[in-house]
Amino acid sequence: MAYEYAITICDGTGCIQKGVRNLRQALDDELAKHQLTDKVKINLSGCLGMCDKGPVIVVNPGYTIYGNLVKDDITEIVTEHLIKGNPIARLAIQEDFMYNRFFRVFGDAKFFGKQMRIALRNCGIIDPDSIDDYLALRGYEALAKVLTDMTPADVVEEVKKSGLRGRGGAGFPTGLKWDFTAKQQANEKFVICNADEGDPGAFMDRSAIEGDPHTVLEGMIIGGYAIGAKKGMIYIRAEYPLAIKRLEKAIKQARANGLLGNNILETDFNFDIEIRLGAGAFVCGEETALIRSIEGRRGMPRPRPPYPSVSGLFGKPTLINNVETWANIPVVIMDGAEWFKTIGTEKSKGTKVFALAGKVVNTGLIEVPMGTTLRQIVYDIGGGIPNGKQFKAVQTGGPSGGCLPADYLDTPVDYESLAKAGSIMGSGGMIVIDEDSCMVDIAKFFLEFTQNESCGKCTPCREGTRRMFEILTRITEGKGKAGDIENLQRLGNMIIKSSLCGLGQSAPNPVLSTIKNFREEYEEHIHNKKCRAGVCANLISYTITDKCIGCGACKRVCPTNAITGSAKNKHTINQDKCVKCGMCFETCKFDAITKL
Amino acid sequence: MAKALDVIKKKRAEAVGKIISKGYLSTKRVYVGMATCEIAAGSEEVMEVFRDAVKQKGLTDVYLSQKGCAGRCNLEPTVEVIEQGKNPVRYGQVDKQKAAEIIERHIKNGEVIEEWVID
Repeated sequence: MAYEYAITICDGTGCIQKGVRNLRQALDDELAKHQLTDKVKINLSGCLGMCDKGPVIVVNPGYTIYGNLVKDDITEIVTEHLIKGNPIARLAIQEDFMYNRFFRVFGDAKFFGKQMRIALRNCGIIDPDSIDDYLALRGYEALAKVLTDMTPADVVEEVKKSGLRGRGGAGFPTGLKWDFTAKQQANEKFVICNADEGDPGAFMDRSAIEGDPHTVLEGMIIGGYAIGAKKGMIYIRAEYPLAIKRLEKAIKQARANGLLGNNILETDFNFDIEIRLGAGAFVCGEETALIRSIEGRRGMPRPRPPYPSVSGLFGKPTLINNVETWANIPVVIMDGAEWFKTIGTEKSKGTKVFALAGKVVNTGLIEVPMGTTLRQIVYDIGGGIPNGKQFKAVQTGGPSGGCLPADYLDTPVDYESLAKAGSIMGSGGMIVIDEDSCMVDIAKFFLEFTQNESCGKCTPCREGTRRMFEILTRITEGKGKAGDIENLQRLGNMIIKSSLCGLGQSAPNPVLSTIKNFREEYEEHIHNKKCRAGVCANLISYTITDKCIGCGACKRVCPTNAITGSAKNKHTINQDKCVKCGMCFETCKFDAITKL
Repeated sequence: MAKALDVIKKKRAEAVGKIISKGYLSTKRVYVGMATCEIAAGSEEVMEVFRDAVKQKGLTDVYLSQKGCAGRCNLEPTVEVIEQGKNPVRYGQVDKQKAAEIIERHIKNGEVIEEWVID
């Protein structure tokens, strides 16, 4: 349907309190009255961050923002703006938040309605290879503002006030980290960007860098100014060649434009950035292991304290933040901590980027205000579960996180709520699981990953994850024993308590959380030798029922010739030969093969 | 010494000038998604079709650019057509044939190809 106007109605808490839903009704009535319903597309958005001017609606094309609306204004908007094409200056408000740029281009698509893009504000909008595009959208203005009007202490104070917390997963208050590092006395300090993204299924950092490399650089330069560092490093995996290429180009362009190097923007501030490539070890995402890797040593964590803010790279005070955290910095500076604080929940401010994947209609990269519920993410943005299947769980935090069942769908996404529910925020992987997935198998998948990636320094992590993996493998093969669940729990808790770094401390989470929330599936595997999702090959068998008409299609596709039978007669499967590949099941057009 | 804010303002003005000189004010702007994921889905070929069209077939008044990932993983490669004063149009799962058709039908004749539009 070709529509002429797209109207976005802010459906955030602030605007709802101010009666935006009555306006919605009035708008619907008014459009119907003028037979415009087909020509105007209405979208609901999450909080647009203009609560003090609510209720707010946005009319596109033209990106006119109307604020402080009452019911009568709607009539005027419809007759004057929509019908006659004259935007109403009296009702329009001028707001130029950084994130608005994104909304201006994508605000009419439903997928983006509940989103708010701060870190990804330029991704999908600008040419990432062009510094001109970035500069045109107020790029590096935050840096200029900092260098012109703010002392390093002011910058630290602003970041502290914003309530921004580390987006790498742990959620440590960013401002505090900056403060600690700034207060250290040293002849040299460093700034590091942690782009060692390693969670299976996560691609937030890659997309952020590939879509808008300059925002990361700008954040880092501001960080360097705030703590008194002259050198920054980006630690990124070698398997992200395009991200690396774009970063290299961005650094070159920034140098050529006097934004990196000596006398940045004609001031006496000097700062430069170089790229260090990681070889793809998961543990190197842990800050102390990452620092060792940059130093040219084997990437293994060390005990903290001392924290990197005291003794980091080459023993110098080091400020290390994740890609997404850095990408937030220019917005915190430009739009101010006061504004930033209004987005999110009490203890988690701003937005979070998630890589939404798995059994969901709209897989994709999303950024939502903290406090958005899992239900809104899975159903409103993700579009629900495809093929009419039942939702089973959502996995957050990748191999360090947990699986939350349907009871937890109304959990708001913030650091505390997710932890309370038994998962973690993590760096932003979010995998939707439907009824066709086996929870034991999923726990095994993540554990296989972490036990492979364990650096081997701590015995509980090195040996313990291996033993847990062996037990899980046994359970999925139908050889589970009574006591296995208790053993997994005992081992898991012990590994958490006695490992040095985040890898070991979180590796058992996928197993423990699935035992907590899906214990019955473990018990079925162990006691009934049954996998309800039909995933664990040793626990399922295929049989041919009386519906079989003897067409022979299954026989032809069977790779092991396990199916016998003559034409037009019922066929049978030889269970000893069957490898449970499922080819016959997929091929049968008559629903004559059952999977049990 | 000039203030950093003045320096950046000057730089921005220059940048805007450069973008305009590349044809930004054309009546139609076309963006092709070029992140790793989009390239894996085949966006380089799509970009090639648009580049050729601009170069060889003398497609005038079109500003062609790449962009990063907007997050629509399942619909990639994506192509976006923005015309002044109209709602932007985004096409999903574009391949070489679709790209050629978008050029003929949408860019040249102004017809929005509804069935490929991402809503």
